[in-house]
Amino acid sequence: MIVSRNLLINGQTYPVAVDPSDTLLDVVRDRIGLTGTKKGCNVGDCGACTVIVDGQAMNACLLLAVQMEGKAITTIEGLAKDGALTPVQKAFVHEGGTQCGFCTPGMLMSATALLEENRDPTIHEIKNALSGNLCRCTGYAGILRAVSRCENYRGDGTCTKKADSDHNDSGKGKVGLTNAGPWTSVGVSIPRVDAVDKVTGRIQYTADISLSNMVYGKILGSPIAHGRVKRMDTSKAEALKGVLWVLTSRDVTDTQYGVSPARYDEHIFARDKVRHVGDEVAAVAAIDEKTAEKAVSLIEVEYEELPVLLDPFEAVADGAPLIHERYKRNINTHVDQVFGDVEGGFARAHYVREETFTGNSIYQCPLEPHATLATWDSDGTLVLYTSTQVPHYVQYMMAHILHMPLGKIRVIRPAVGGGFGGKAETTPLDICAAIFSRKLGRPVKMIYSREEMFHHGRGRHKQHMKFKLGVDREGKITAFKSEIYLDGGAYSSFGVATAYYAGSVIPTLYDIPAYKYDGYRVMTNKPACGAMRGHGVPQPRFAFECLLNMIADDLGIDPVEIRLRNAIHPDTKTINEMDVGSCEFRATLEAAAAKSNWPQKYGKLPKGKGIGIASGGFVSGAGYCIYRGQVQLSHEKPREPFVKKSIFPHANAIVKISEDGMAAILLIGAAEIGQGSDTVLTQMCAESLGIPVSRMRIRSEDSDISPLDLGSYSSRVTLMAGHAVSRAGVAVVDKMKPYAADLLGCAETQVVAGNARMYVQGDESKSIPWEEVARKYFNANGPLVGTGCYKPPDGLGGDYKGATVGTSPAYSFGTAICEVSVDLETGKVKLDRFTDYHDCGTPINPMAVHGQVEGAVAMGASEALLEDVVFDEKGRIVNPNLHGYLIMTIKDAPEIFSGLVDSYEPRGPFGAKEIGEGSTLPVLGAVAHAIAHATGVWIKDLPITPEKILQALRQKEQVTEPVPAR
Amino acid sequence: MYVPDVELHEAQSLEEAAALLSRFSPHARLLAGGTDLLVDLKSGRLSADHLISVSRVAFLHGITETEDGLRIGALTTITQLDRHPVVRQRFAALRDATSQMAAPQIRNVATVGGNVVSAVPCADLPPLLTVMNGAARIWSTSGERTVALASFFVGVRQTVLKPGELLTAVFLPEQPGRFGAAYARFSLREGNSIAVAGVAAGIQLGADGRVDDARVALGAVSPTPKLVAAAREILVGEEPDPRVFAKAADAAMDAAEPICDVRGTAGFRREIVAVMARRALTSAWERARGTKP
Repeated sequence: MIVSRNLLINGQTYPVAVDPSDTLLDVVRDRIGLTGTKKGCNVGDCGACTVIVDGQAMNACLLLAVQMEGKAITTIEGLAKDGALTPVQKAFVHEGGTQCGFCTPGMLMSATALLEENRDPTIHEIKNALSGNLCRCTGYAGILRAVSRCENYRGDGTCTKKADSDHNDSGKGKVGLTNAGPWTSVGVSIPRVDAVDKVTGRIQYTADISLSNMVYGKILGSPIAHGRVKRMDTSKAEALKGVLWVLTSRDVTDTQYGVSPARYDEHIFARDKVRHVGDEVAAVAAIDEKTAEKAVSLIEVEYEELPVLLDPFEAVADGAPLIHERYKRNINTHVDQVFGDVEGGFARAHYVREETFTGNSIYQCPLEPHATLATWDSDGTLVLYTSTQVPHYVQYMMAHILHMPLGKIRVIRPAVGGGFGGKAETTPLDICAAIFSRKLGRPVKMIYSREEMFHHGRGRHKQHMKFKLGVDREGKITAFKSEIYLDGGAYSSFGVATAYYAGSVIPTLYDIPAYKYDGYRVMTNKPACGAMRGHGVPQPRFAFECLLNMIADDLGIDPVEIRLRNAIHPDTKTINEMDVGSCEFRATLEAAAAKSNWPQKYGKLPKGKGIGIASGGFVSGAGYCIYRGQVQLSHEKPREPFVKKSIFPHANAIVKISEDGMAAILLIGAAEIGQGSDTVLTQMCAESLGIPVSRMRIRSEDSDISPLDLGSYSSRVTLMAGHAVSRAGVAVVDKMKPYAADLLGCAETQVVAGNARMYVQGDESKSIPWEEVARKYFNANGPLVGTGCYKPPDGLGGDYKGATVGTSPAYSFGTAICEVSVDLETGKVKLDRFTDYHDCGTPINPMAVHGQVEGAVAMGASEALLEDVVFDEKGRIVNPNLHGYLIMTIKDAPEIFSGLVDSYEPRGPFGAKEIGEGSTLPVLGAVAHAIAHATGVWIKDLPITPEKILQALRQKEQVTEPVPAR
Repeated sequence: MYVPDVELHEAQSLEEAAALLSRFSPHARLLAGGTDLLVDLKSGRLSADHLISVSRVAFLHGITETEDGLRIGALTTITQLDRHPVVRQRFAALRDATSQMAAPQIRNVATVGGNVVSAVPCADLPPLLTVMNGAARIWSTSGERTVALASFFVGVRQTVLKPGELLTAVFLPEQPGRFGAAYARFSLREGNSIAVAGVAAGIQLGADGRVDDARVALGAVSPTPKLVAAAREILVGEEPDPRVFAKAADAAMDAAEPICDVRGTAGFRREIVAVMARRALTSAWERARGTKP
């Protein structure tokens, strides 16, 4: 029964018609159109929907709108008055308090409720007040800084300046010496270009966008993990009022899709059988999401259950049923790589240790659920708004599935609320929404619930690792052998690459003269695993670093020292033929050890206190595209032979100068997913144009506007897209030079652009405004446009099978030192402090770099201690939600010191390389080592729970207890 | 993940609430803070066609001091309880629970009555209120009755409430001199977490410093907030010290009937119960002696 209510929101009364079952969240977003309040979980676990009701922070998803009359409600849109940000909003902008921005509105509402009551809260009070708001990007560090320093941003003259705490070190600023510097826009910690839109709730994510006449869709997933669909009856769903169409496998092609062209193995809907709980069976379009959800539950499906395989070792056993006929013994990918004389290396080793390690099943848990909005233009162009990291691959795959040219598909990537690898694929939402919309002639929006996200999966592979490492008397590595079983889930996804990455990025840190890697990616009846931050490498890196620390202790060598002895040097070709250029790995080790007072602590702390170290590094962009050949519908291309070069540029940019010369619009398809790519690309482009960032705008969201970029994965954007935007800027300046030379009366070669002027090199007194030159160019030629592109160098990698995976123009390095306190009675670990140093080349925006490191530390530590997707014996996820699958809150996150060592990468733009993934890699091993140091027991399977620690302590007690005399 | 279609009734009085409940039973649910109920309705764990809201019933609101103790209206939110000056002065032990439960957004909405009457095993307040000798004030059209919380819970999500009866308040008697209570809880995460095990302890010291009376109640590790009789037997008459507390804690561990779930195995929970029991007893003792607020 619909009733009318007057809701007082942000000081304004809104008369609304509400159904008693409507939550305040749905009414505020869908009825009133205030979409700044976010739906992240819908059950009070994440806090993204926090609003202030009569002065108190509350979850709008747990309030019935019908009961809200007479209460003063404030949403994020109600904070800034007349466009002026509140002090805490300003602080979020300037202190790195927002990244993907999806948690930001809720976080700000909790902070505002606190600050209205207590203007000068302690750190403890801040943490307490924000403990119901989850963030997956910032590690809470920037948020904590922002709230605790918000007094500094009070414009009323009552500012009590708070001193900077010692939280980062951005190097000595030697950057630029090797280039044309000094730079004005590069190397500067400017706020994110989207920060103000994020702190005001103005920025739109896919789910926030509504189009006229829009309807909704929902997908029915299988309730069982393995079985055949025997019968399906959709009549009850079809009969439900408001249902527009029920889509099943009968209505769609049997085209298979996926990520790696050789292993397209997913169907739009299950054909022969379902392979995991949540495997797509049918979908419904209806006038609203609630009706679609109800209709899905009315579809009757009868299954014939098949045996369920949940363990990779069972799945490869003789006689195990096959999940896909094409993967014999359920092995989806087998890697068999040998480099150097492995047996000889072990034979000449002074000491060899072999250990088994087990990883955990990790889900990315971006705060923003996947969402898609599809509509078709009258000329037959599909317009797909989607929450993705890889707009181009979505375009490529949708073209394949729908059998239409890529040029007829326009992908729009609105703001993305975090990805971490979980949004690197075309989703069933994209496919179903497009099919529904074409048939219905109406825009169709589809959004995953938090539970559906877990069932869609694509998280980190759980890896079972047997590692053997040999060293000589000095601790120098002589040989390394690894055998890894990756639990792949039911489909290939990115898994082929994952299996190769698990081996290939191990030798990029240490000099390993002999190396054997056996990898098996095995199918199981679980949601497919995919690429997650550090793609395939974090768990093997964890295992390797733990083993190295064990050996260091066995031999009485300090763990820092053993790393220094084995660390690779710049300009090295590794044993598996990766080309490492710049490398300041040693500097990260030395700086982290010094900053953390390692020598005074390691081996010297009281029981229960520990310090641990690990290192890691990653590629700065994959050397090769995921698919072969040129940009073209895959089945129209001949079978492409592999060539060791890029066919087309991986990153492309256009810079368009406004006709008055006062603005530069940067067009590039690089995907801003929260990591800050829009900001650093703007900075690099501004630098090459010679104008300030304030004169630039970036349009990266629309494939109709911006040229192709392969997207945000493999930490490729800063290096690859950075080159493209800088080159586009240079192209503009080159076009302007003749006009500037003319005006300045000098030679073209003498013209330099900088500080929004063009001047004669060496004589800045002779200059003219930049825009004046741009206008002269326009007067004579029309549009002033420059383009730039980037292709990875030819010939990257070796000639062996799988040699492409792990190739990159450049590699990052880093070291993390973790300090913990362990409650020896309960096994509970408290993370006290992280000291991180990284070699990311030139930091384009140090604040953004530190933000990536802080986020990586919290995410990695959360993985190491808390996270695991748990399955019951039938393959159902026991914890597909944010109260069962625990990610760290602000109360759990450690204090983080992030430091950068001076480094310059000749293959990177302005000397830059990656930070986002490499910074995750040392974290897990450092946590494990610190715990081992604190407790005396090594936990070799993740996550390191209190229960495992207690168990290990008990076992140790039993072993060391003297045997009673008879 | 939507609340299914329901009709919402705003009861103006206890009589009206009871009448509506009986009229729509068994398809009706009482709605207080809603932080559990709405989640259960969205997830389909519970169903209801009618929600009977009691938010407008004034009798259920407020914390009032009475001659012999504190009456905590069933609709008192966790935050209101946590911040109440009398609680902070004289019932500070409650804050062991109220400061840690869920998250601020939940504490601002969730009610004391809901936390008690839901009878969910991992609820934090029931064991603590039990050792503080709390009692449930129960109303029905035939009158009021009071049931000690120690005998209020009968099973998982089951209480002694009969059809037509409503919990109106929790009553806490004035805490006697030389009495201290405390709650120790273990969770896997620091913020917005659910207890893996919780132990509440209450200690009444005699003039000689020995234990006159003691109560140990378990949360999250038994179907109801279980009072451990064996622990009381061990403690009474003893001079409090770590050794005695350890013995009592072992008794608490033996009395626990934990389940295995995603938060921990039964064996682990038992071990944790012993640790939490020692810590709760130590804190309670410190409060009884006046050395801890």
